[in-house]
Amino acid sequence: MWAYAARRVVIGILLLLALSLVTFILFFASPADQAKLACGKQCTQAQIAVTEKALGYDKPVYEQWAGFAKGVVAGRDFPIDQAQREAAPETVTHCAAPCLGFSKYYGETVNSLIKDYAPISISLAVVAVVLWLFFGVLLGIAAAVTKGSILDRGIVGLTLLVYAFPTFFIGVFFLKYVVVKWGLLDYPYYTPIAEGGVWGWLTNLWLPSLTLALVFLASYVRMTRAFVLESLGEDYIRTAKAKGLNSRAVLFKHGLRAALTPLVTMTGIDFGTLLGGAIITESVFAYPGLGLLTVQSSQAWDLPTVVGIVLIAGSFVVLMNIIVDIAYAFIDPRVRLG
Amino acid sequence: MGNRLKRMVALGAAGVLGLSLAACGGDSNDNGNKGPGGNNGEPGEAGGTLTVLQHFPFESSDPNRIYYGVQLASWRRTLYRGLVAFPMSEDPAVANTPVADLATDTGTSSEGGKVWSFTLKDGVKWEDGSDITCEDVQYGASRSFANDVIIGGPTYLLNYVDVKDYPGPYKATPEQQQAFDEAVSCDGKTITFHFNKPWADFPQAIAGLMMADPYKESQDKGDGSKWTILSNGPYKIEGNKWDKNKGATLVRNDQYDPATDDPEQLRLALPDQINWEVNPSDTAGELFNDRLIQDGPKDQAAITWARLNPAQLSQISGPVEDRYLNVVSPYTDYLVLNHKTLTDPAVRKALAVSLNANGYIKATGGSTVAEPAETIINPGVSGSQDNPAFAEDNDNNGDPEAAKAILEEAGVKMPVKIKLAYQKSPTQDKAMAIIQQTWNESGFEVTLDGQGDTYYDVIAQPDKDIDVMWAGWGADWPSAMTVLPPLFDSRPNFSSTTCGNDYGCYESDEVNKLFDDAANAADVDTQVGILQEIDAKLGEDYAYIPLDNQKFNWLRGSKVTGFTTTPASSQYPEIGLIGVAK
Amino acid sequence: MEQNAHMDEKQPFLKVENLKVHFPTQDGLVKATDGLSYALDRGQTLGIVGESGSGKSVSSSAILGLHRGTNAKVEGRILLDGVDLLALNNAEMRKLRGKEIAMIFQDPLSAMHPYYTVGNQIAEAYRVHHKVSKKAARTRVIDMLELVGIPQPDVRFDSYPHQFSGGMRQRAMIAMALINDPSLLIADEPTTALDVTVQAQILDLLQNLQREFNTAIIIITHDLGVVAEMADEALVMYAGRAVEHGRVKEVLTHPQMPYTWGLLSSVPDITGDPNARMVPVPGNPPSLLSPPTGCAFHPRCVHRDKVPGDLCTTELPDLVPGPRGGLHLKRCHLADPESIYQNEVIPEIAPDLAEER
Repeated sequence: MWAYAARRVVIGILLLLALSLVTFILFFASPADQAKLACGKQCTQAQIAVTEKALGYDKPVYEQWAGFAKGVVAGRDFPIDQAQREAAPETVTHCAAPCLGFSKYYGETVNSLIKDYAPISISLAVVAVVLWLFFGVLLGIAAAVTKGSILDRGIVGLTLLVYAFPTFFIGVFFLKYVVVKWGLLDYPYYTPIAEGGVWGWLTNLWLPSLTLALVFLASYVRMTRAFVLESLGEDYIRTAKAKGLNSRAVLFKHGLRAALTPLVTMTGIDFGTLLGGAIITESVFAYPGLGLLTVQSSQAWDLPTVVGIVLIAGSFVVLMNIIVDIAYAFIDPRVRLG
Repeated sequence: MGNRLKRMVALGAAGVLGLSLAACGGDSNDNGNKGPGGNNGEPGEAGGTLTVLQHFPFESSDPNRIYYGVQLASWRRTLYRGLVAFPMSEDPAVANTPVADLATDTGTSSEGGKVWSFTLKDGVKWEDGSDITCEDVQYGASRSFANDVIIGGPTYLLNYVDVKDYPGPYKATPEQQQAFDEAVSCDGKTITFHFNKPWADFPQAIAGLMMADPYKESQDKGDGSKWTILSNGPYKIEGNKWDKNKGATLVRNDQYDPATDDPEQLRLALPDQINWEVNPSDTAGELFNDRLIQDGPKDQAAITWARLNPAQLSQISGPVEDRYLNVVSPYTDYLVLNHKTLTDPAVRKALAVSLNANGYIKATGGSTVAEPAETIINPGVSGSQDNPAFAEDNDNNGDPEAAKAILEEAGVKMPVKIKLAYQKSPTQDKAMAIIQQTWNESGFEVTLDGQGDTYYDVIAQPDKDIDVMWAGWGADWPSAMTVLPPLFDSRPNFSSTTCGNDYGCYESDEVNKLFDDAANAADVDTQVGILQEIDAKLGEDYAYIPLDNQKFNWLRGSKVTGFTTTPASSQYPEIGLIGVAK
Repeated sequence: MEQNAHMDEKQPFLKVENLKVHFPTQDGLVKATDGLSYALDRGQTLGIVGESGSGKSVSSSAILGLHRGTNAKVEGRILLDGVDLLALNNAEMRKLRGKEIAMIFQDPLSAMHPYYTVGNQIAEAYRVHHKVSKKAARTRVIDMLELVGIPQPDVRFDSYPHQFSGGMRQRAMIAMALINDPSLLIADEPTTALDVTVQAQILDLLQNLQREFNTAIIIITHDLGVVAEMADEALVMYAGRAVEHGRVKEVLTHPQMPYTWGLLSSVPDITGDPNARMVPVPGNPPSLLSPPTGCAFHPRCVHRDKVPGDLCTTELPDLVPGPRGGLHLKRCHLADPESIYQNEVIPEIAPDLAEER
């Protein structure tokens, strides 16, 4: 199995390199004039040309990508203009491998940018995943075991209703009414554990994570309900009952275990995607995570940051897929030994 | 709700992002429709913590790269002192004249405005305790030339400083550096700028922009210095680094000596601390004002750069109204006539005569969001006066009969087909339809062409089939030199592929000659006179038709004192006057 | 109430009286089992035969109380050692499940949880009813695995169901069912999913274990061959009701009901006559939602014309002793089924048998 995991990791790395190349190509295939967007208000043709050269956008795409790839492997010094590096060594920024580049827009290496912004996305994703898994699975089971009852219909209907609202709307509703108008909660600001302790970190994550969790809640309720129902219809559940097990053991030990497999897959992929940044939630709550960085850097056509984020988000997804596959083996012995 | 909200915010942001501006002004006493009563103007006392709620991120905290008007104005009062600065007066006549800041006076010019000298005061220091030297100013000015590193800031110095092929301090050879050091030279504490042509309004330019601010060379890490701040003002940043998406906390700078300053005119610096909170969310502006309307305990000492949106204006009543300001902004909207398609002067005149500016303003939100404009030169800019071509003939409702008479007299076959382009938004759709309707009654047949994000690229094209275009502008500093030449001097604007900012592709040798005269004027008064002449000429040619001056609607928390706007603050709340009541 | 005369002298171990299992659905009431009665003694085997949907599995699940917690309506009486199982509360019933009454299911692969080891699942069945340590349970399970003929039981304990062959899995299921020494074992199609040779081994195993533990067994099957080998008594079900009931030999050699004939004729007999025709029962099983009027079998019955009038379509025949005696019950309007069977059915399905006579 570990050989399998290693093989997956290698494939994942190749995939990510290809992903970065595609990002480079797409970036320059766009009709936008990237240098013009970066050069500010007084943008004469001459200034655009200077900016383009300073950003390295004047070089062929493959050459730019090769420089990037070299940085990932061996590290890189910035600015890319060698004349300036020699003339003004005080302005050189060394970016150690795996170097994702230097963003002139943010004035720092993409690595340190991601180091600053990723913890927020990770925090959001972790709290949100706990919230939606806890409530989603709980409500899903409740709906499944009371199938057809008012409770079941209520749960499914209500979560569907919540799902119908766009994230943007829910987030703004929380801020505009729950926080500002009714004053029920303090305005949330991201607070690292180092500053506010676990409690401060958590209380400030409450609203944005809930917003995020609500988006996923409906599908997890419905999936859990469906998987548990499917599992409860299995022959081995009848066997478990026939053994004389009480209904709790039948549901949780036998019923839920099988429903877990598809849930783990879903959770892994959703979580992996979210680690790359929850764009809307982070934008609404102004949580400076990777999602916000994605929006900002794309709007500014800041190639190094865009590529860096694509790679990080991509590796989260690749990583979670590998973890899910390994988790599968732990959950399902047929996968493990077969 | 979502859509409307986004649109409001987008429109609000367009004012800041799309147009940009530097210090310039509007006469809030004459034109401002200030909220009645209240203690907005009352001076406050020192102490307390002010909160600044900012709904967009800055692009840099490096003085040479800053180009946002509100950032330039508010940081001039808090973090970065200049050689000279605009005073905190509500009277444009006073406000548009720089006063000495780091320098001992407002500068001495010679050689017909081609040479400017400033002498630094004694005792002015950086926050690290070191003296601000002439070399710091010299180095700061030199950074503008490194336009492959310092991207995004104003580049005026490149056109004026009398030096050739200087690549900025990072890559200059000793010879190149020598040449620059002669063009911008130091003699003890006196710095002298040698220009290749007269620059009459240079003090205004460097009071508003920070391109000639001092910069300490040992602090410069090139690209890595984009967000570091070495303050010389009354405040400094905790941690010396501005967080683009979070902001920072400003605390007292113990190296700042008010004795070297002119606090009454330039910066009262009343609060002990300023929590400067940046929230780049699309909805932040609306939420900030929601919070200010609510006036909860945490927001009572807060101001925001976000304007009230029309929906929120209806909530401004009772005690909230005491905390409200309505002022004319430095932004002017205008219509550009395409001189390549509208070659008949009678047609252009008829369009101007029948423009329903009042209807347009009503559709965009009424008298709280805009007032009719009679010239493209905003009332806050020196020398702004009604353009006779537009001010005399009608009451801004548009006069279809007069227009038809003009067309008939000129023998133009009616209806004249007109294509009107603008940047699409629900509000603009509505407002443009009003203009369309009145024009249709005036012998025209108007088609509307709502454009997307690439609007300004589209209307810059020389061969477009658009006849009339909406546009907006704000001055970089309160001189019409930053309004008329960038928009109507064909020479820097035209190339084979674009008409630049001269969207109507207007080209007049006579006007271009006058631009040269204005640029070469030895003093500001002469310059203003020439610019007024140019504006009159542009009116005669109907190069543009003024539409409206946008207005700002501001709200403050109940404990904020000294809440007003000045031309120097771009009609944003003047942070230099603001205090916090106990 | 119909009763088996030979059991009158003493109370039988299991006595099912007029058992009804009805499922209310949106389309109406599904009468899966509608008035079923039988009795069974320890050490005896009852074979319940019928097509899918005849109600044979549903009625057996009712004995285990597996319909509790669903919307099924169960009526009648199920007396186990004199105790009415339908009158017990859920907790009391649960204590009997797996302990006194155990069940073996048709497909051992799907009947075992794929994520737990075989040993674990059997041990769980043991520990539900016995407060013993895991280790003690393991020993007991390994003994049991050995008993049912699984080689290397201590190793196989930790194997997963998918690692077992079909026959081994069914042996494990039997071990699971018998681990608590149940007095009643219900085997629901225990050999259907298995190879023919394995089938025989499993049936042998069940018989041996029955002799050892004196267990009462209900074996549910659609295969009369299994009944012939295993059962002492046979009960043929159709549309939720018993249509023929008697000693196995009696029912198989002198079937009284056309449906039973159909079942007999559809049994392939590899040792029998190559000229014999396999005659499947024509038509489809009846809808339990709206069963046919009268005799539920009448739409498929080829001997209907031998019954006078429209009796078959209007009147449900009672389950009564047939012409061959009081212990052999049949539910059919035919006046002389014996002669029809001998003269019409036998020649067709077993020509050699007919010639012999």
